Amino acid sequence: MSEPRLDQSVLSSLKEVMEDDFPLLVETFLSDSQDRIRLLREAIATEQAPDVRNAAHSFKGSCSNMGALALAGLCKQLEECGRTAKLEPAPLLLQAIEQEFAAVSQVFAQG
Amino acid sequence: MSEPCTVLIAEDNAADRLLLSTIVSKQGHRAIVAANGAEAVELFAQERPQLVLMDALMPVMDGFDATRQIKALAGDELVPVIFLTSLTETEALVRALDAGGDDFLSKPYNKVILQAKLGAMLRMRSLHSTVLEQRNLIAKHNEHLLSEQRVAKAVFDRIAHAGCLSAANIRYLQSPFALFNGDLLLAAFTPSGGMNILLGDFTGHGLPAAVGAMPLSEVFYGMTAKGFSIADVLREMNQKLKRILPVGVFCCATLIHLNLHQRVLEVWNGGLPAGVLCRKDGSQQPLLSRNLPLGILEPESFNDHCEVFDIAEGDRILLWSDGVPESGNAAGEMFGEERLLNVLKNAPHEHLFDQLRAALSNFTGEQQDDLSLVEVAVVPEESLPWQSLPASASTRQSPLDWSAGFDFRASTLQAFNPLPFLMQWLLEVQELRPLAGTLYTMLTEVYSNALEHGVLGLDSALKADANGFAAYYRERMERLEALEQGWVRLHFDHRMEAEGGCLTIQVSDSGGGLPAAAMAVANAGTPFAGRGLRLLNELADECWRDEADGSLFLRVRWQR
Amino acid sequence: MPISSVASSDGHELTISIQGRFDFGAHQEFRDAYEKVAVTPKTYVVDMKGATYLDSSALGMLLLLRDHAGGDNARIRLVHCNSDVRKILSISNFEQLFQIS
Repeated sequence: MSEPRLDQSVLSSLKEVMEDDFPLLVETFLSDSQDRIRLLREAIATEQAPDVRNAAHSFKGSCSNMGALALAGLCKQLEECGRTAKLEPAPLLLQAIEQEFAAVSQVFAQG
Repeated sequence: MSEPCTVLIAEDNAADRLLLSTIVSKQGHRAIVAANGAEAVELFAQERPQLVLMDALMPVMDGFDATRQIKALAGDELVPVIFLTSLTETEALVRALDAGGDDFLSKPYNKVILQAKLGAMLRMRSLHSTVLEQRNLIAKHNEHLLSEQRVAKAVFDRIAHAGCLSAANIRYLQSPFALFNGDLLLAAFTPSGGMNILLGDFTGHGLPAAVGAMPLSEVFYGMTAKGFSIADVLREMNQKLKRILPVGVFCCATLIHLNLHQRVLEVWNGGLPAGVLCRKDGSQQPLLSRNLPLGILEPESFNDHCEVFDIAEGDRILLWSDGVPESGNAAGEMFGEERLLNVLKNAPHEHLFDQLRAALSNFTGEQQDDLSLVEVAVVPEESLPWQSLPASASTRQSPLDWSAGFDFRASTLQAFNPLPFLMQWLLEVQELRPLAGTLYTMLTEVYSNALEHGVLGLDSALKADANGFAAYYRERMERLEALEQGWVRLHFDHRMEAEGGCLTIQVSDSGGGLPAAAMAVANAGTPFAGRGLRLLNELADECWRDEADGSLFLRVRWQR
Repeated sequence: MPISSVASSDGHELTISIQGRFDFGAHQEFRDAYEKVAVTPKTYVVDMKGATYLDSSALGMLLLLRDHAGGDNARIRLVHCNSDVRKILSISNFEQLFQIS
């Protein structure tokens, strides 16, 4: 994977902004992301392209805010699938997203 | 650092909400959050935040609809909406702008950029609210001004409508609020059944232009009703305006006196465009400005000299303010004097006013606000209502049994018109008030006969044609100026009778009074020169000449 | 600057030049042109060469100048009046108060 898992400059500016609340931000992001992955899974299972697009778009935005660049990149690919209504690669992309999210969660958990 | 304010954050993503509200709070603002568009609209209505950060794609209601609703709720107030979106999608940007979005913020959020955008938007907002406040203030002032003008106009109308602008021989065009452009149009019957008309144009606009109208109208109506000559009225108006108006404010005016009985038009024009006397035969006489406007000269320098023209039934006098030639059209051209005079030259005599009005509205294409136009027709004296004075409110007993005599000698005859004062005294007899018009006409007639023929020795045969007419009035003025000797005597005697009362007026002069022949001519009904005497015969209950000294007696009776 | 004034070298005469529309908008400037000068002139010249338009407020302003310059004793010449300006002055009979050329 060419993009770094977490952009350290984004993380440091987030820490600066959030101060003591940074762990809260991480916790919010992680629990919110689980909801989004669930939504993505449902949308792909029911083959609702617009829902795939919206959920991926939204997830992409919060990933980029948290500096999770690789995850944001995968979301972007999935959003494109939804936009063009070509859902064939979607299950594989979702799998990649789930793996990458697990890895990101791991990194955040290590502090 | 901008003033602290409330910022609404509408974002369905919990982490982004938290991040944004933290950034906003750290900048000293209060953050309120909504997870979708519908919540955002509801929260906006409750809290009226000053600024909104709006995600585009949200469940329930998206950011575009929410923005439209928030903008509608905000009304006049500027509530900046910053869309939270990545700048990559052109279509979404266009939709955001269409919905009323003011700016964009792309992800990932950057604290410094968000801070700068918040600051800029809040400055724009405060500028807008200043403009709005000023606009409202101006609107309020304007409303206030208009209501003041309405009050002033109502008061003024009550004074102006004391006059006879509605008389059958007057037509005029004037916008309802012309008063506040400084324009003034007044008309009143004189006690002798003639008519005075004043068209005035004060310098300036608005209330300053309107204030002078009150004193001017009061002088005009008060003195016209009492029978003062227009020269007297002019002198009084000039000195009053000179006294009360600041330097630099004055009134361009034309004052005319229409003497329907003697068929004489007197004109004084100070500073207004030349009006026109349009004779029935098609010839036209300009009524030129020969004087400075009213309110400029000191009383001793003021020239009250009026031009005198003979007039005939059917002649029309047209006067206008400079708003008429200066009326503009859409192309910025002015109507102009030439076009105006052309209309007057070519229109059928009886349609002068209508055609001028039509030409004006064709030219300008709309209602003009700043012009006054008036036409006065010369009509038979009898066709106008005879003015009778209302009984005075005083319950005082009338003087019923008295006699009084007056001698007016050369220097007084030159400079003073005694008739208004004599009338005022006579009308102390309440019972004579209904006869005021008759009395005034009789007095005017006998006094000018005594002065012009008896004292000045003028021959009324001169007045037989239009040229002689002008010569007659020139001669009258010259002889009066040169007068060193001579007198006019008026004697009044009022007595009670069984059924009412009886006023006897005796007139004599230094020229030997009325020639015996004049009375005979009058009785025989010779048309021109004898007109005055015939009229006296008709108006008085009795009219006779004293053979011994040539004095004329007139007797008027009233009944209870 | 549409209205300017220049005093003669001996300070006896002040020339006020009008440019463009001479109407109420020029009120303050016109006043300043004769009030805010260091000299006390004996005569005044109002140069109308550049004046394109004149309304009744302008006539009022000329009367204010006349008042300032001594009323009936004021010596004021209005020069370079074009035919339109001259006509307005003449309808109002201002030649009785000012020397017009």
